[in-house]
Amino acid sequence: MSEDSIKIAIRDLDVYYYERLVLKKVNMVFRDRELTAIVGPSGCGKTTLLMVLNRLLDTVPHARVEGSVELRSNDQGWLNVLRLGETDLPSLRRRVGLVFQHPNVLPTSIFRNVAFPLNLLGLSHQEIDSKVRSALVDVFLWDEVKDRLDSSAAELSGGQQQRLCLARTLVLQPEILLLDEPTSFLDEDLAEKIEALLLRLKDERTVVVVSHYNDQVMRLSDNVYRLS
Amino acid sequence: MKLWSHRILLGFFWLSGFLTLASVGTLLIFLFVKGAPSLSLKLIFGDADPLRALILLERVFDGLFPAIVGTTSVVILSVSWAIPVGIAAGIYLAEFSGQKVKKIFDFSFDILAAIPSILIGLFGLTVAIFLHQHFSDRIYPCLLISSVALAVLVLPYIVRTTQLSIEAVPHPMRAAGLSLGASKLQNLYHVVLPRSVTGILSGVILALGRAAEDTAVIMLTGVVATAGIPGSLLAKYEALPFYIYYISAEYTDQKELMTGFGAAIILLTICAFLFIAAHLLKNLLVRRLS
Repeated sequence: MSEDSIKIAIRDLDVYYYERLVLKKVNMVFRDRELTAIVGPSGCGKTTLLMVLNRLLDTVPHARVEGSVELRSNDQGWLNVLRLGETDLPSLRRRVGLVFQHPNVLPTSIFRNVAFPLNLLGLSHQEIDSKVRSALVDVFLWDEVKDRLDSSAAELSGGQQQRLCLARTLVLQPEILLLDEPTSFLDEDLAEKIEALLLRLKDERTVVVVSHYNDQVMRLSDNVYRLS
Repeated sequence: MKLWSHRILLGFFWLSGFLTLASVGTLLIFLFVKGAPSLSLKLIFGDADPLRALILLERVFDGLFPAIVGTTSVVILSVSWAIPVGIAAGIYLAEFSGQKVKKIFDFSFDILAAIPSILIGLFGLTVAIFLHQHFSDRIYPCLLISSVALAVLVLPYIVRTTQLSIEAVPHPMRAAGLSLGASKLQNLYHVVLPRSVTGILSGVILALGRAAEDTAVIMLTGVVATAGIPGSLLAKYEALPFYIYYISAEYTDQKELMTGFGAAIILLTICAFLFIAAHLLKNLLVRRLS
């Protein structure tokens, strides 16, 4: 397969919590317009790996990373993610979006949760309104919340919050989408719809999914990595 | 756990809660029974006309009005100095400091919190003497020195509660903002502070109460028995806690002592007003920040 299609290359990655090695010599590549699944037993470091990719692991006390994570950037060639300075991280995280397994809605309204990253970018009200609506439609949440956009996001069910968090990340249209168990709070019907959405999303970007469901991995992924 | 030990433990918890409530209740009832009969406009304004006294057209000589104004001024001034410094220091310790720096600061603020207030008063007095000798002979112990000394006294409460409230915001919540491209400062403003503002304001309320009740600090730094309404930050002033202390120590008859209880009720009422104002501010901030 062509080297040009590689979007992220992880080389000899070690991750420590305190002095405990939780990921050892990880080597992986994630390609453009492909959906890659990461599987493995609980506690093997799947979520940690995702958090390394957009440097959110920096916010975890006593976590330490060695090795290299390179991100292909159209205008700058390869970008060493682990060497980026503090001021470059917001832009990295907009490019490499991460949706957590457990929904972590912000303590504000449904609308403002999705509008939050757009407000940070200083977009106009019209742009924000249309992008929020479109993201909520994409994750099949619009019909359920269109009449209560100003209600607190905390009032939504677990499944609705999970889709809200997905919408909040999609609204930025990240080049790389990292999803940690994206359907764990959803019923079968919604899970199928989200899977279809992921297949559609991978046509435009790199998608990395952590999943416990083998059948889901088989259905969705172009590549599978197993962490032990 | 066995049923009987569970019951004993539950009973102990209930009793402890009840004792706390009972002590507060007893204290309040005692104060009101003793002080309510002496409460009157005459206690506050003496022989002066209340309206003219309120708009500062007539001086109050034998009432508590100057002490009420003095207490309110010194409390508001001291928390005004302490709030920005305390909250900023708390934010720094919780969000930006390294482990070593945090340990040094934690230790320093613990020591500051444990210093007896009379020592802070003594320090304020020394500063006033130093300023008088070296900068201006117009500077004496005054409202400004008192308020700064009280700010030092209440600073650890605000720093600690700010730090702990911010540190208590769960990691997934912080990560939510950052993962959406917020910078550390944007995340602090939009995500972390709205979640911790209630705790921070609790520290401010604690500081208000502490500043309002302290006598040792103000006794050495500017309060006097008779001064009238303070005309400037460099003026001496009267204060209710000092009045209560002074009357309790120097009263000549029972009626005079009862005015001390009246002053205590007024002091509690001022605190209640300040607490309500802090709560309203909290609600406003939560709305604004989120």
